[in-house]
Amino acid sequence: MNNITIVVAETSYLIQKGLCAVLKSLGDNHVIHKMDKAEGLFESLNTLKPNMLILNPDLFDGNYELIKNGCAKLKACKLVIISNKNKDEGKFDEDAFLHYEDRQSKILDCLEGVKKDLERNKKVEKSDEPISAREKNILKHIALGLTNKEIADQLFISIHTVVTHRKNITQKLGIKSVSGLTVYAILNNLITMDEVK
Amino acid sequence: MRITKDMKMADVIQMNYMLIPVIYRFGINLGFGDKSVKEICEETDVDLNFFLQLVNTYHDKDYFPKEELQTIPSKDIVAYLKMTHSSYLNEKLTEIEGLIESLQHAEAEDEKYILLIRNFFEGYKNELTEHILHEEDVVFPYVLAVEEICTSGIVSDLNRKIFESFSISIYQEGHDDVEEKLMDLKTIMIKYLTPPRNTNLYHKIIQLLFMLEQDLNYHSRIEDKVLVPKMISMEKAVTELI
Repeated sequence: MNNITIVVAETSYLIQKGLCAVLKSLGDNHVIHKMDKAEGLFESLNTLKPNMLILNPDLFDGNYELIKNGCAKLKACKLVIISNKNKDEGKFDEDAFLHYEDRQSKILDCLEGVKKDLERNKKVEKSDEPISAREKNILKHIALGLTNKEIADQLFISIHTVVTHRKNITQKLGIKSVSGLTVYAILNNLITMDEVK
Repeated sequence: MRITKDMKMADVIQMNYMLIPVIYRFGINLGFGDKSVKEICEETDVDLNFFLQLVNTYHDKDYFPKEELQTIPSKDIVAYLKMTHSSYLNEKLTEIEGLIESLQHAEAEDEKYILLIRNFFEGYKNELTEHILHEEDVVFPYVLAVEEICTSGIVSDLNRKIFESFSISIYQEGHDDVEEKLMDLKTIMIKYLTPPRNTNLYHKIIQLLFMLEQDLNYHSRIEDKVLVPKMISMEKAVTELI
């Protein structure tokens, strides 16, 4: 649910709204930010880290260099160009191109394609497997209130490894806070309630 | 559908019952008869423009008139935010807490697990309370001081002191992970806990948690997207003045 985050940058209010409606019907995505001017766009992308940017080059008055440079910095973000000019196609190393006059099926296929690409990448990093024995052990230590450094020392691994495990545990379980992880650990008999206090 | 000043207040509520607590925070209570939104606002001394913008923001999550909201005086926004704070502290949190407690009494066997939930919720409650108190004691007085400097053009000693002691960027930094625990609690109850026999009560608690989360989202949207940008531009003006 709402796995893919999208930023829409388009001057026309109607097109912006329409695009959002199309994305909504596509499902499994979430438009986190809408912009109708160029100022602050790339800055906000740095903090929002969306999976997809749908951009109309007119925002930058067709300043190709500026867009290219800005987009080159976006690592994991797919770029979709939306425009009413055929000549814009292929100029930005974009992952997909939408024309104002494209038909419904073409627009849906195009966005669906980008979405599939993203999901393929995501699968690699986030699996639905249950947590491994190793991760269970780390989780136990987290639940007992140990810091990353303490866990690393006790298990003879680097802090970096602990952090990676933690990230995977949080992703797999969908629980972020330490107290939440503690509750999970107790429910699954990794630790007992008395140990926490 | 947009809510307008000429609509009957009763129709507004018929359209979206979630607005009942929102209008109550403005001091507006049920029993409006056939009065319009405009009439009710005049009677209760509520700024009509602010009321409409805010109610529409709650009603339609895609509607967020940033520019219009920016024109509203900070003191009105702060007054509203304070009202929502007190509704969280005095009503919502206590209500959920009470329900978890009754769940605990009703279940002898699963009591241990309910206790976990209860402790977890207590932890969340303390965190949120602390966050709210910080806003009321530090952030809001700062906002009001900055606005006073901006509108009057005079920097009193007290206001200068307040201005120099804080900055809205400090506030921005710490303002995102209060909701983390709330989300975790929902996840645990939905995914990992075997529901107790009193499912009715259990479901009600989960529904209330969802409603609280939604309400908090709207609340912080106003803080982050309206109040903070407003403060940033005012801070600039004050720095030039000093």
